[in-house]
Amino acid sequence: MNNSPETGAGRRVRVVIVDDHTIFRSGLKADLDERMNVVGEAGTVEQAVAVIAATRPEVVLLDVHLPGGLGGGGREVIAGSGALLGTTSFLALSVSDAAEDVVSVIRAGARGYVTKTISGKEISDAVIRVADGDAVFSPRLAGFVLDAFGTAPADIADDELDKLSARELEVMRLIARGYSYKEVAKELFISVKTVESHVSAVLRKLQLSSRHELTKWAAERRLL
Amino acid sequence: MTTVVQRPTLVRSSDRMIAGVCSGLADHLGWPVKFVRLGMILACFAGGAGVAFYAWLWTMVPTADENAKRNARRPASPIAPAVSLAPASGATGPSAATTYDAGPSPTVAGAPPASGSVTGNGSVLGNAGARPVAEPSAFGSAASPGDGAGSRNWAGSWDEATNGTGSTLWSWFTFRKIQYGKEILLGAALLLVAAILIARQFGVDVPLGTLIPAAAILGGAAIAWMQLDETRRAGLVDKTKADQAGGWTRLAAGLALVVAGVLVMVSGSGSWEQTWLALLASIAVLGGVALVLLPWGLKFWKDLETERAGRVRETERAEIAAHLHDSVLQTLALIQRRAGSEQDVIRLARAQERELRSWLFSDPAKESGLLADRIKAVAAEVEDSHGHAVEVVTVGDTDMTDRHEALVQAAREAMLNAARHGGGTVSVYLESTAGSTEIFIKDRGPGFDPDAVPDDRLGVKESIIGRMKRHGGTAVINSSSDGTEVRLGLPSISPDASDLRNSDLRNGEQRNGEAKQ
Repeated sequence: MNNSPETGAGRRVRVVIVDDHTIFRSGLKADLDERMNVVGEAGTVEQAVAVIAATRPEVVLLDVHLPGGLGGGGREVIAGSGALLGTTSFLALSVSDAAEDVVSVIRAGARGYVTKTISGKEISDAVIRVADGDAVFSPRLAGFVLDAFGTAPADIADDELDKLSARELEVMRLIARGYSYKEVAKELFISVKTVESHVSAVLRKLQLSSRHELTKWAAERRLL
Repeated sequence: MTTVVQRPTLVRSSDRMIAGVCSGLADHLGWPVKFVRLGMILACFAGGAGVAFYAWLWTMVPTADENAKRNARRPASPIAPAVSLAPASGATGPSAATTYDAGPSPTVAGAPPASGSVTGNGSVLGNAGARPVAEPSAFGSAASPGDGAGSRNWAGSWDEATNGTGSTLWSWFTFRKIQYGKEILLGAALLLVAAILIARQFGVDVPLGTLIPAAAILGGAAIAWMQLDETRRAGLVDKTKADQAGGWTRLAAGLALVVAGVLVMVSGSGSWEQTWLALLASIAVLGGVALVLLPWGLKFWKDLETERAGRVRETERAEIAAHLHDSVLQTLALIQRRAGSEQDVIRLARAQERELRSWLFSDPAKESGLLADRIKAVAAEVEDSHGHAVEVVTVGDTDMTDRHEALVQAAREAMLNAARHGGGTVSVYLESTAGSTEIFIKDRGPGFDPDAVPDDRLGVKESIIGRMKRHGGTAVINSSSDGTEVRLGLPSISPDASDLRNSDLRNGEQRNGEAKQ
């Protein structure tokens, strides 16, 4: 994702909010700070796909549970906007922290996942981060990742998809412990950019891996 | 009924020779079992009175289990612990339960034991009005509307269709709405039988030609009615179609006996030739009737099945409604009343959210009592008492041991400190692997200097560090102006062990070193 927008003073990130609760949409709109510009809203799967195609936003804030479509919710919106995945990033929002909801929407292509109880500042930061092409992990998502991939590091640090490298594990652990990216960077004596690249690598593995354990883990939780 | 003595309820005991009737009766009356059994056997020789009495008790008296199930009330509302801090939550328990039981849920019959066993008298009577064949109060609780009511309906209509005496049975059905009506009728019938038998003993001429067919009818009816034995019926419901065959066989045998008896009685002669002829004729008639009624019967059966499925759905809906009523609605009411206090509102909302989450997403099959669940429970407790959110993330899980209990207690102390001094959200991370278990408790408070804590403050020194050391674990406190993190580690294997542990310890030390600087 090289076409990351200028997030400096001049340019504002174009955002579409997809959620079936009007109250939540307006609350979220009020929460987003001046760095963002809400260009569209939608309440169902069909509306969302149409609005996203029409406005081509940089970030879509996407509720995992949505009415309409074939009942697939947020996953279906991402699938329906497949052609835009290169330019539009999806950030999943949910009240549910059930593993199946979170992991299925991530595997569909979302760049991150946050719970709806997140504060206004945090959601704004998360949107900027996703707009910059990075991944946003909540502690709980990091926990799911550790659960799914296991906590033992890969023996050789090649880019195999089935295991996390020792460094990625450390990053995930710290995020699960409630550390912000900045705190993770400080703790591990690396730059925030490096932390972000580790997180993106983990996200890619989570999306692409067909590792046996991951499949089994998903099957146990009825994800497949 | 004149005694005021409190007697144990009449139930069929599990200490049984045949069906536990005698020992149950002995318990109830306070007599020795031996005498009761002997009396019963003697009574059997008195013209079979004992047999009849025994059979009657067998059908009518529930087993101890059934009785307990029926009397069991719904367990306390699941929200109770979650909003326990709220004064008004006391009202959510029993009163709400009664509202829903007597109210819109016509569901007691098909319900799973947990909620189905609530049957107060109210709901049973409520059912009686709605059903074509009233459920007797004695059989209210675990009845499956499909099987039970269905076959009884059939029995009833067959009896009526085939012969005049069936009307007695039919009136019996209608009488059942009266409490104990059935028992009173049966008692009267038995008394009558006894009177006839005694009269015969005294040489009064009682026509056997009438009595034997009558006995056949009663026997047949009894066989058909055996299905009312609740344990059997529960079994039928459990094992679904496979065992229904048994039920139908029983019904058919009963019917055959009744029909034969009736025919003999009606023909009056007792001669076999005539009886055979009549039997053939009536079978032909019955076959014809069956042919005509079959489509109707099938439709009826289908409707019954549909109704049953609907009832199951209704049960589920009612259960969800009851849950929401007991939890969410109560909490919302509380929130409205305390809208002034932000702290209270947040606390209530958190507690409710947690409760609803655990209800929606928890896996009932998963065994509880494991470490992750304990930590979550402790976190919930801290959250309730201090009003700060405690976010728990767990990876892996392990069985609880004494050492893990110590770990939980140390973690609890750390969470309490974090909530008390840190303010804001507390993050808890539990990671359990084969080699060790680690818990991290992080807050974003102003921080403190662990070395500057005075010796008389036992919270940190004793409850956290000391406790972990005593159980062969480690505790490191890392505090800065950005917040405090307590790291607890507990190797899985006890101190006298292997390489694995050593490497773990080394890892632990390494990490401790890291934490120190």
